[in-house]
Amino acid sequence: MMPWRPVYAVLEREVVRMFRQRTRLVAAMVRPLIWLFVIGAGFGAVLGQASGLSYQQFLVPGVLGMTMLFGAMLAALTVVYDKESGVMRMLIVAPFAHYWIVIGKMLAAALAAILQALLLMLVLALLGYVGQETRFGVLVLGLIATSLACAGIGMLVAAFTRTLDNFAAIMNFVIFPVFFLSGSLYPVNQLPALLKAVALANPYTYGVDLLKHATLGVLSSGMGADFPLAMDLAVLAGFTLAALIVASWRFSQESAYEPMIHILTGKRGG
Amino acid sequence: MNQAADSLLAVHASGLVKRYGQLVAVDGLDLDIPSGQFFGLLGPNGSGKTSTIHMLATLIRPSRGSARVAGHDVVHEAVKVRGAIGLVFQDSALDRTLTISENLRFAGLLYDLTPAVIRERSAELLELFGLADKSNRPVGSLSGGMRRALDIVRGMIHHPKILFLDEPTIGLDLPNRRNIWRFIDRLRARTGMTVLLTTHYLEEADSCDRVAFIKNGKLVQSGPPQQLVESLGRHIVEVESRDIDALAQRLSPKLGPCLKDGEVAQFRFAEEDVTPLARLQSELGAQIKALRWRRPNLNDVFLWIAEGKI
Repeated sequence: MMPWRPVYAVLEREVVRMFRQRTRLVAAMVRPLIWLFVIGAGFGAVLGQASGLSYQQFLVPGVLGMTMLFGAMLAALTVVYDKESGVMRMLIVAPFAHYWIVIGKMLAAALAAILQALLLMLVLALLGYVGQETRFGVLVLGLIATSLACAGIGMLVAAFTRTLDNFAAIMNFVIFPVFFLSGSLYPVNQLPALLKAVALANPYTYGVDLLKHATLGVLSSGMGADFPLAMDLAVLAGFTLAALIVASWRFSQESAYEPMIHILTGKRGG
Repeated sequence: MNQAADSLLAVHASGLVKRYGQLVAVDGLDLDIPSGQFFGLLGPNGSGKTSTIHMLATLIRPSRGSARVAGHDVVHEAVKVRGAIGLVFQDSALDRTLTISENLRFAGLLYDLTPAVIRERSAELLELFGLADKSNRPVGSLSGGMRRALDIVRGMIHHPKILFLDEPTIGLDLPNRRNIWRFIDRLRARTGMTVLLTTHYLEEADSCDRVAFIKNGKLVQSGPPQQLVESLGRHIVEVESRDIDALAQRLSPKLGPCLKDGEVAQFRFAEEDVTPLARLQSELGAQIKALRWRRPNLNDVFLWIAEGKI
């Protein structure tokens, strides 16, 4: 049976913290807008338009995905912050199986990502970048499936990370590669073979593709979605489930768990 | 152990072992704590106190042996055990970015309490712990003493049957330590719950119903504090001298084993009548700087056990 009140508590805390940490929220809005208006405008001028689609319009699903990737990753990594700060102590002594901590944290990270994506969409709509051609049903699916997959990537990293000292490394070796080696900045089908293989192996690619289905659709120019919608959904769902299982397993594993207890309590056996 | 007897025991551990590779942190510990008892688990650093508490609280798995807490098996019924106990760690378990009431709401929801119940209990406990007027303050702005008090409130929000306090006053100054103990005494008076305490400040264990000393993961001595203190002897004799080794050698046949620390040697003296000590003082004369005697206390029990002399 699902301990829904504890799971709700984890979600509520994440949302309260997100709106309290204004700089984190502002950064989450500004980062994609910089990509859209600086990088997008710059490359757009070089590339021109492909079949009536400006490069900026092509980037919209990419930056939506980016907001969710960063939002979910940062929220999932609060697991590491919780280990360091002691909040994890509250969670591990509570009366439910420990894998619920992983599930709760993953849902919380996905929720934070969705809220940030919705905020960004509001800004984009006001600026005229989210238009009537958007398929809202697919968009809702895209937000949910992509945010969960991003939360899954975050939980996997968090489960294997001891301290936030490694945060720069996580940015450089996880978040940026996941972002760059996806279809966010360029159509996957036109990539060189090696890069294409990496992008195909990157679950986040299918999240961006799902968002392309929602905002761009399938275009004859090849600038729209690269894969069938059902394939995107299947890959994202499969990856999310696998990430959840691995992170839960890692979390309940004694060898991973006991050192955490000792970190939490300061010393061994004292 | 049959079911009826089990229900009277808050904690029943037998042959508890915890191994970390080569290191044996807890080595075949047997422990029975009746319901409602105030029990102190004492011992030097690294003696296995915290490992023991963590096994009883289901946070780590015993390598061998078994334990029942509040009638539930710590391995097979871990969730039930966690629902019945409150655990206050050596270090804070609070979110410093949230306020006091937000922290308690979070903790309470984790125990499946309704918001109304959480509000009611928070008000009651914060009153008891002298934090009632601070419920909207962020935890990060509280003093160390207040945070500790809040940590205990957090561990009590679900009204546990058994409260584990792992060094609850560590790092606090004396007035704050006294405050914490005043709170814990009030809490015990009101709820009658079982409390399992570990502490380095042995005078804090004086009010325990029973204490157990552990060393190298093994139970060395246990009993009511007063009884343990009395078993040490009627007096502790402290002799101060420049050549403490020679003096110890000379006195040991008469006074038994001693603890040496710098220029001071301590002996246990079993008799109430101290005339032999006064005689000894004049006998030794200039060989010693001082000779004095006093009543033993729990600190002495701790020291003699830590040195392996009892």
